[in-house]
Formats: sequence, C-alpha cells, structure tokens
Amino acid sequence: MAGTKSALVLCMDVGFSMSNSAPGEEPPFELAKKVIQKFVQRQVFAENKDELALVLFGTDSTKNPLDRDGQYQNITVHRHLMIPDFELLEEIENQVHPESQQADWMDALVVCMDLLQTETKGKKFDRLNVALLTDLSTQANQDHLDVIIENLKQAGITLQFFLPFPAEDDEEGGGDSDRRGPGHPGTGKGLSREQKESLDLVKHVMLSLDEEDGLDQVYTFRDAIEQLCMFKRIERRPMAWPCQLTIGSCLSIRIVGYKAVTEERLKKMWVTVDAQSNQKEDVKRETVYCLDDDNETEVKKDDTIQGFRYGSDIVPFSKVDQDQMKYKHDGKCFAVLGFTKQNLVRRHQFMGSQVVKMFAPKDDEHAGVALSALIRALDELQMVAIVRYAYDRRSNPQVGAAFPCVKQDYECLMYVQLPFMEDLRQFTFPSLENNKKLSPSDTQLSAVDSLIDSMMLVQKDDDDADQKDIFKVHHIPNPAFQRHFQCLHHRAVNPGTPLPPMEPWLKAALERPDVISERCQAPLEEIKRKFPLIEVEKKKKLKTSAQIFGKDAEEPDAKKAKGDEEEDYNLADIAEGSVTSVGSVDPARDFRTLIKLKSLPFGEVCQQLTHRIEQLLSNKNTHYYMKSITCIQAFREQSVKLGNADLYNSYLQSLKRSIPNRRLEVFWDLLVQDAITLISKDEVEGSTVSKNEANQFLVVEEKKEEAAVPSAEDTGDVDDLLDMM
Amino acid sequence: MAEWNAYYQNEDEDEEQEEGEQSGDYKVTGRDSLVFLVDASKEMFIKGEDGEPSNFDMTMQVVRSVYTSKIISSHRDLVALVFYGTEQSKNPRNSFKYVYVYHDLDEPGAKRVQEVDALRGEKGARLAAETMGSGETSLGDALWCCANLYSDIKLRLSHKRLMIFTCRDEPHRGDSAKDRQARTKASDLKETGVIIDLMHLMKPGGFDVAPFFRDIVSQPEDESELGLHLEPCDKLEDLQKRVRAKEQKKRAMARLNLCLGEGINVAVGIYATAVTARKPAAIRLYRETNEPVRSKTRTFHMQTGSLLLPSEIKKAQTYGKKQIVMERDEVDSIKKFQDPGLYLIGFKPMEKLKTHHHIRPAVFLYPEEGEVKGSACLFSALLMKCSERNVFALCRCVSRRNYPPRFVALVPQREEVDEGKVQFTPPGFNVIYLPYADDLRTLDPPQCPSASQIQVDKMKEIVSKLRFKYRSEAFENPVIQQHYRNLEALALDMMAPEDTEDLIMPKVDQINHRLGPLAEEFKDLVYPAGYNPESKSVAKRKTAIVGGVAEKKPKAEVPEDELRAHVQNGTLGKLTVPVLKEACKQFGVRTTGTKKQELIDF
Repeated sequence: MAGTKSALVLCMDVGFSMSNSAPGEEPPFELAKKVIQKFVQRQVFAENKDELALVLFGTDSTKNPLDRDGQYQNITVHRHLMIPDFELLEEIENQVHPESQQADWMDALVVCMDLLQTETKGKKFDRLNVALLTDLSTQANQDHLDVIIENLKQAGITLQFFLPFPAEDDEEGGGDSDRRGPGHPGTGKGLSREQKESLDLVKHVMLSLDEEDGLDQVYTFRDAIEQLCMFKRIERRPMAWPCQLTIGSCLSIRIVGYKAVTEERLKKMWVTVDAQSNQKEDVKRETVYCLDDDNETEVKKDDTIQGFRYGSDIVPFSKVDQDQMKYKHDGKCFAVLGFTKQNLVRRHQFMGSQVVKMFAPKDDEHAGVALSALIRALDELQMVAIVRYAYDRRSNPQVGAAFPCVKQDYECLMYVQLPFMEDLRQFTFPSLENNKKLSPSDTQLSAVDSLIDSMMLVQKDDDDADQKDIFKVHHIPNPAFQRHFQCLHHRAVNPGTPLPPMEPWLKAALERPDVISERCQAPLEEIKRKFPLIEVEKKKKLKTSAQIFGKDAEEPDAKKAKGDEEEDYNLADIAEGSVTSVGSVDPARDFRTLIKLKSLPFGEVCQQLTHRIEQLLSNKNTHYYMKSITCIQAFREQSVKLGNADLYNSYLQSLKRSIPNRRLEVFWDLLVQDAITLISKDEVEGSTVSKNEANQFLVVEEKKEEAAVPSAEDTGDVDDLLDMM
Repeated sequence: MAEWNAYYQNEDEDEEQEEGEQSGDYKVTGRDSLVFLVDASKEMFIKGEDGEPSNFDMTMQVVRSVYTSKIISSHRDLVALVFYGTEQSKNPRNSFKYVYVYHDLDEPGAKRVQEVDALRGEKGARLAAETMGSGETSLGDALWCCANLYSDIKLRLSHKRLMIFTCRDEPHRGDSAKDRQARTKASDLKETGVIIDLMHLMKPGGFDVAPFFRDIVSQPEDESELGLHLEPCDKLEDLQKRVRAKEQKKRAMARLNLCLGEGINVAVGIYATAVTARKPAAIRLYRETNEPVRSKTRTFHMQTGSLLLPSEIKKAQTYGKKQIVMERDEVDSIKKFQDPGLYLIGFKPMEKLKTHHHIRPAVFLYPEEGEVKGSACLFSALLMKCSERNVFALCRCVSRRNYPPRFVALVPQREEVDEGKVQFTPPGFNVIYLPYADDLRTLDPPQCPSASQIQVDKMKEIVSKLRFKYRSEAFENPVIQQHYRNLEALALDMMAPEDTEDLIMPKVDQINHRLGPLAEEFKDLVYPAGYNPESKSVAKRKTAIVGGVAEKKPKAEVPEDELRAHVQNGTLGKLTVPVLKEACKQFGVRTTGTKKQELIDF
C-alpha cells in the first residue's frame, strides 16, 4: 500500500477580474492564492509522494503544449507535475501576481487534463484531480463539452471548483459551512451574466460526473481556507484489514475493516540539535542505570534484569519467561460474543482512540448480502453486536461493540472498543438535585432555559425540516496542525525572524460564532444576575516547600528537620575529617562542614555544591527539589556569613534564566514560596543588588511563568493497531 | 494542597505521553489507606440457606478482590485487615483484648493475598476458629487499635477509610458503657480525618442501623438520603459493588473553569472514570541483588563530552534539504492557543452527537463548590435543563497549559440509584472529545447489494437467540489478568500460575447449540452453493505465499552512489524500509529499529 499516490493540478485564474472586489473585501485573487499556499504548505510538510502541477490562466503570456493557431491562449503551465517543495512555495509567494488578461476556464481545464495525461505516463497514480480556482468571469466555450466530460470520466480525473461565491443559494444547504453569515465575500455583489452562465456550466459538468454528490465538490474560497477540501479528495485511503466476522463456528462473513476516525498526529518529531552548530550529530543522549545508594553507583545495562511490581513485592521476570508465560491468542479475529440493546452500551464508555468501519470485500457480493442482513437486522432491532476484536497475533485482544450504520449509499458496521473491568473507576458523587441548598429556583432555571434558546447552534429552517448546523467541529482542521505548519513555513522561508502571530481566520474559527455571541448577550447578563458566583479565597493556596514536602517526601520528621537548622553539624563528623567534598547524600551539610573546615577555597566548595544542585534538579522530582532548596538555602546563608555574595547571586540569576527551558517552574514556585531571594547590599556590603532588586527578583518571574511551558511531545499512539503494519 | 496537585499532577509523565492526560495516577498527594474491620463473632460464620456462603466468607472474598485490585491499580495504597470479637488477641502492644490484627497497614502483596485466601470457605472458617476464635466484643477497643495503626504510619496519608463488616446491629448487647466508649472512639477517629463506613450484612430479623451504628459511621458528604438507609447486603455482588464504590477515592485530573461568558466561570473538576489499564512498565533490577536501579538520562556534546545545559540545545525538523530550527520555548509556544479552561460555544440537540465521532475515552465533569461558590447551583441548573431539553453543550477545551484546544460535547447525565439507594450513575456531564476534520478519514465504501427482508428477518432470529444484557464490568482483560497471575505465581513460588478464564472468548459451543439449524438456514438464504467464506480467503492467501516468496522480496539494494546522492539531498525518506536496512548493513551501521525515521537518522 505504500505506493499509493495522487496527482493534482492546481489551476488558478489570475485574470484581471480576479482582482475586482467590493470595498473592504479581499479580492478573489488573494483568497485563491491563500488557498493554494495553504494547500502546498501542507503537502510539503506531509512529505508524501503526491505530485503537483500549477497552471495559471489569464496570464499575459502563453506557455502550454496546446498553444497552436491562436488556441489556448493566455494559459501558462507554471510548474509541471512533480513533488512540491519549498521552491514552489516561494514561487507562489513571489511570482504569482494578478495579470491583465482573461482566459477561457474551459480551455484551462483542457490544458490540465492534457498535462495529467501526458505527465503521468509510466507512473502509477491512484487518484487524478484538477482543482480549478476562478471567478468564472469569462464566457466558456461549450463546443466540446461532451467530449471533455467523456474524457474526464475515462481518465478517471476528478474535478473540484473553488469559487468566490457559493454555487447554490442557501435553500439546499449548499452553503451550510458559511457559518459567518452575512458578509460572505462575493455574495454581496450579485453575479454577472457570464458568471451565471458559467456557473450553470459548472453544475452541468459536476453533475455529469457524479449525479448525486457532484455539487459537493464546488467550494467557496473561504471554505477552502478553513476546511481541508482539497486534501480530502486526494487523501490516502486507510489500509484495509480483511477478516471474518464469526458467529459461533458455523457462520462467518468476510469483512474488510478501515480505520475511519482516529486522532491524527503530526508525523514528524523534533530532533535535538546543538544550539551552536545546529547539528544533531553533536548531541548524544545516554541513559545510565545506577543503584539507589549514596554514591549512585553506576551499573551496566547488561548487569540489570527485568522485574515487575506485584503490590509490595518486586518479582524478577525475564523477557524470555515473560514471553513464554504471557497471554497468547490465535490472532486476527472479529468474533461475536452476543448481541445486546444499543442503549446498554453507553456513549461515555467508549474506549480506545478509533472507530473502525467494516464493509464486505469489494468483489464479494455474497458477503455483502450477508453483512447487509446483519447490519439491517441490528438496525431494525436497535441492537449491537458485542465482539472480540484482535488486530493480529501481536496485539492485545479487545472487547467492543459493532454498531449498525445504514446510510443512503452504503451500509457498514462501526466498531468501537469498550472498557474492561480493570479500566473502570466506579466513582460516586454527592447528589445535586436532592440537595436543597444547591437546587436552583424556578427563575434560575428559566434563565438557563433562555440561555440555551439563544445559544442553539442548530437552526431550524422554516420551510424545511432540515436543520442547519452553524458550528461543525468535524469541518474545522486541527488548529494545532495549522499553526505548526504556519510556523515551520515561516521559519523555513524567513530564518532568524520571530515566529508570526496566529492567523486571524484560525483564531476566529475557534470562537463562538458572531450570531450566537450577539444573541446570547442578554441571557448571559440574566444568568450573571441570577447566579451569584463567588471565587473562594484560599487562605493560603500555596504552601512552602517544607510544608508540602514534609508530608510528601515520606521522610521521618526528625531527619527532615536537620537540614533546616543552622548549626547542626555533627562534631564527630568534622573531627573525623570524613568530609572532603560535597557529596550527594546531604550536600547542604557537607557544604557547611567544608566551609567551616576551610580545607578548600570557598569558590571551589560553591562549585561543588552547585554541581550537586544541578544534579538534583535534573531529576524532576519533588523530593529532589526539596533537597536542592536546602542546598540553596545553605549556599545563601554561608555566603552572607562570609560576606561574599557574588557567587551566590550570579548562580541564582543563571538558574532563573534556565527555568523555562528546563521546565523547572514547579521548583521555582517553591523557591518563591520560600522567599529565597538574591543577597542584597543590606546583607552583604559587596553585593551589587539593592534590596528592592533582590525582592523584585522573585516577583517578576511570577508573571513570566505563564509563558513558560511544560508540554508533551507527540509520541506514537500505542493503540494504533492499524498503523503497526 | 489540593490546588497545587491539580495543577502539577503528572508532571513527570507529561513529557512522555499525552495520554498522561487520561491517567489518574497521583504520586504527589500521599497514600490512600483502607482498614477492613471485620466482625469475627460466631454469627458471622453462620451459613446461609441452600449452602449460601457465610457473611464471613463473603467478606473475605471481598477483601481478597480489593487486595488484588489494589495490586493492579494502585499498589502504593495501604490496606489493613483487623478482626474484632475474637477470642485471641494480636495487636502491636497487645494492649487490646479481643482484637486481632491480621494484617497491619501496608502495601498489599502476594503473601497477603494468600493469607486472605486461607480464610475463605469451609477450611477458612476452621482456620479462623483455630487462630482467632470468637470471643467478647468491644468495638471501642477495636476502633482504638485501628487508630493506633493509622498513627503508627510515618507516611503521609491522603485518604483514610475504615470499613466495618458486621451482621450484628447491637454488638455490645445493650452494654451502654461499651456503646459509649465505641462512640467516643469513633468520633476521635473521625476527628483525625478517618471516614468510617458500615458494610452491614444480612441477619435474621433485619439489621437496624438506628440504635447504635448511626452514631458510629461518618455522615455522608452531601447529607442527602444516600448512604445510611441502605438495606443490608445479602449478595456477594452487592457487597463487592458497595465496597468498590467506597474504596476508590475519586480525584480530579484537573480543576478548570467552565466559562459561559465574560465573568461567568463555573469551577469544575475533571475526573477520569474509565482509563485503559495497561500492563505496568517493567522495572530494571540489579542482577546481583535484585534491587531496583534508577535510570538517569543525560544529554552531552559528542565532541567535547561535556553535559549540555538545556540552553545549549535547540529543536529541529528537516524537510527535503531544509533544516528548520527553533528554540525549545518556541516549540512549546506554537502549541499554546489559550489558557486552560472550558469555554462554552453553544448548544446542540443530542442527535447531532454522532456515534462515530469518537477519538478518546470520555471524562466526567462535576462542580467544585470549594473553588467558586455557586458553581454547584449553576452547574445543576445547566444539567437539569440540558437533560430535560435533550441537548448537549459544545465547548472549546484546553485541558492543560500549552495544550492546543479540542472541542468537546458536554453530555448531561442525571443521577441514577438502584433499589438499595446505591448510586450507580453519578450526576454530571460526560465530556466527549470531538474529532477535527483531520481526524476523519476518507473511505471509498464498496457498492454492495442490500439484503432482502427475508434475509434480514432470518438474521433477526439469530440475533434474538444470542441476546444478553451487556454490563461494562463483565469483561476482564485477559492479558492483564494473565500477567498478574504469572507474577503471583513467581512471587509465591507456585508451580504454575492459576488459570485465567478468557471472558472475551466467544462461547462457540453454546452459540452453536443456541443457533441450532438457524446458521445453516441463513447461509442457504445468502450464500450460493459451494461458497465458503473461509476457504476462499485461505486459498487466496496460499497462492500469495507460493508465488510471493521468490519475487516479493527483491534484494533490497541501492547502488552506493545513488544512496550518497540521497543522503546529500536529504531525500532518504523516499526509500523503503528494507532498502534503508540493507543500506545500513552496507555501511556497517548496526540497527535494531524498524521505523523509517530511526533508520534515516543514522
């Protein structure tokens, strides 16, 4: 399946009428260019093998293979079929401009078809598609219409139109994604005669290619930017999973499963590079194992074995034994355990991260009939099949439900994983309704009622039973991807400049629709009046590290107190002279001892201590944070004592700078709570820091913290069974 | 404290996987603890009619199931098992008579499971009689002893619970001094944050909570009807359910504001009610001593060998020949859209929520009155109205800092209680994550003929024969069960692990028997003679194997210069995995990976 790829021709009108626009509106040319940029951007980052060509029409010059005897004029093949790259992106940015001619879009379509036919020769493509972006302002030559349609059909070329205005008036819900309501570009102007005629032609062509849903592939520019229309057409189809649905051992039906819904993730990971050279080869990550003793003695990986926890026991369990003893099964399977009422399978108990649709194999109509009988039986009885599902021998079997799905043009079973007993957490929560103190009054309830009225996202049309949904989440492209690609694109083309702000349309797409915002103003005010909401003042939300860790660190109290007390040295220790460097067990104490002994220069002892602090902080564990804080406290206290503030202050400042990068916000908060500031002039004369600065040192960081960032790198989906191939 | 945790929970896992979002494991709050205080009087050992297990036997089964489930789901919780009304005494300072501490507060392990097992059944009753016997009862002493168990623990305990299992509603038979002492001790315990539950069991004549135990147990959180007026348990299943419901401490994965509009913020907690249980990760042990080792990961510079500070690294992605470099904080900032919270977009009728719009397990929403006063009231009003009007609320959800937004459906769920007034569905909103356009894949459904009504009706007969009542807790995960049986066997030096029953295996014989001739009749209706759905694909596969071996594995080799060109152009990604592997061999690079990216990275 790895060989599947598509060929697509972007065919864009750059003629003079494309620059026309009503005041305050973006000209169609700019919108169309954005559509193309967005699309090419995604293709470049997707790194698949799809090939792309760019044909412009309405150009001042003519450059195409069909240019002969004054035919096919003002049409330019800007780029031949090839894998899109950054160069193409830059060309679109810098070389595609509005021009001053007009060309027949039907001619342009023929050029595209010709290009597809000649340039795909000898290569295998699964899908051929032409996307035409135009305002349809030129009269099209209809002479060879039938031949063209016939050719499109024969070559298996699909068509998409992108227009500045909707192809249909709202009556049929064709513009249903026009969620911003009034102000749709182009709709205000009224169409010219040419545009109307051309539009009829477009409809004719599209309906000849696909009687039922042809018009679904006619989009507005606005839709195209906000949705993924173009991608959907050429998208790679998910992998087939052939199997047999079995009911007992006597009845089986051949089926093929396709992953239909799953959380898509970015394919490429970030790699770590050296900040200076930008080379990943300069950076090496290494994991070492060490014993949990005072010296953190390192052991070789080969000297370790695998074990598991069984409650309080740790059981050595080698990989070999584990494989031998582990649960084994017969592999691929889709076996019915029984049937149950649909309402017993609760929506919120769906598990896993995907929905798999099961069809009959393409070439097996008997299986089709058998499966159809099952689907329809379940549908009519409002039941589902509970099944055992195993993707293959290596993957864990699941229990799940197969829902019947009967659509106008196809039928299938939809498989969703259900929980195992081990997955469930049976929580009970205090009753809300039976609690007199909490129950809302009638006036409160009616305020909520009018809020719901004003915020319904689905509107009933008067003349039609059809409902119009003005906020379809599944039409919004994942904003994280959009933003990701936008930033990558920017950095690739403009290295060295800061990242751009988020695109306004993307921001807007995530907001409440304007219509709703307006309508709900008054009801919201009412809610505000009727429901007093008072933020509870926390006596002291954050506690000092000692308070938190005293409880968490699971250390006996006595031991914990030790580090805090100032003069808590064990004389015996000193007399023995056992402390020669700052160790890892109790670095703060060692540090104090060494300073007292004066056996090493102050600077060196400090260096040893900061080295230990860095070690501790690399552990990202609350227990270690606590230990680092006692170290810093000791550092500060001894620095003040010796009247040497510089080392301490500069260390703390550099530590602060590194907080966001190292994701040590939690640790920093604790430091703030403990009010461990810089050493000011007031404390040590030589300090260059004023008292105010010293205090400010902690305050500033609190604001900054917002921008700082722990977050997850995308990792592969463990459950992503279908991708395991 | 609670605030702190809600915000910083899972900091560790955070880096590893986004799924951490779903997990409800909390390392920072301290340990949960649970004491089983079990009546060991003669009454507890009386068997029910028709050989029903005794109350004692039932209790031991429940204790065992809690032990094993704790081992699987929360092995760091502490559990104790204490008997009262015994003849023998065994407690830390042996200061209490008639109290037998069978297990003090500790993490449950294999040995303890075995020891509880020993108390089960007929044999168990004999063992109990021998070791502990039945004697006088002083619940006050028993509670005191339990209080000592708690205070002896040096660890921080986050949640303390004590469950009394008994079938005697007047344990001291009207001895008012003893009653008083027990009440005092109970209130002392409650003072220190211990929640006392009563798991009262069936006795002839009915169990009356009122005279004595009403003052012993903790008031339920919400002062509503729930909790006290329960019927006594007479079924193992009920008891198990009741214990389970109480035994797990619910914790919010996050506390967020549900923002309806400017300045209207309802504080809510997000709870994970279903989390995929996985086999726990292996831990590395030192071969010599079997002690666990810690792993440390360091990043250092290849040339200088010095450790790299985070400020000395950047992040990069390469497309074609182009390397795109960003600062670490830029990589994070790209993901930031809004601050964490739920923001109401509007409402939609329930039928707009499509079954197939599923991308992750749902979570549960419940108000946090302690954060914003008035939250519960507004939340409750929303819940009632949404449920009444059969609509869901559509919200934009940012669950944590620097997480990109997702849209969610808040589906109302009214409270439901069973006959025993035990809640089985809590009130609140289920949060259903909705897919974006990218998450829906385009399929080309095959054109197939539909079945005729006769064929459909025949299938309906089959479906009706195999109906059952689905319960989500009915299926154990055979993989996890087997894993723990194996560990149990190894931990206890058993010869072989206990057998596990694979509950998600179809009961083929039963199904065949139930269907009888229906299967054949259906096949006659839909399949032509000689059609065998199984053999067909098998045959196909066979030919593929026969013909495929020779040609399907072409020697995956690419001439060296071509390879170098690819390296220089950064177009290695275009090669297939086998080719890359071969190339690695060619250049003497050792590989174990099969992922393309790994191979390219070499």
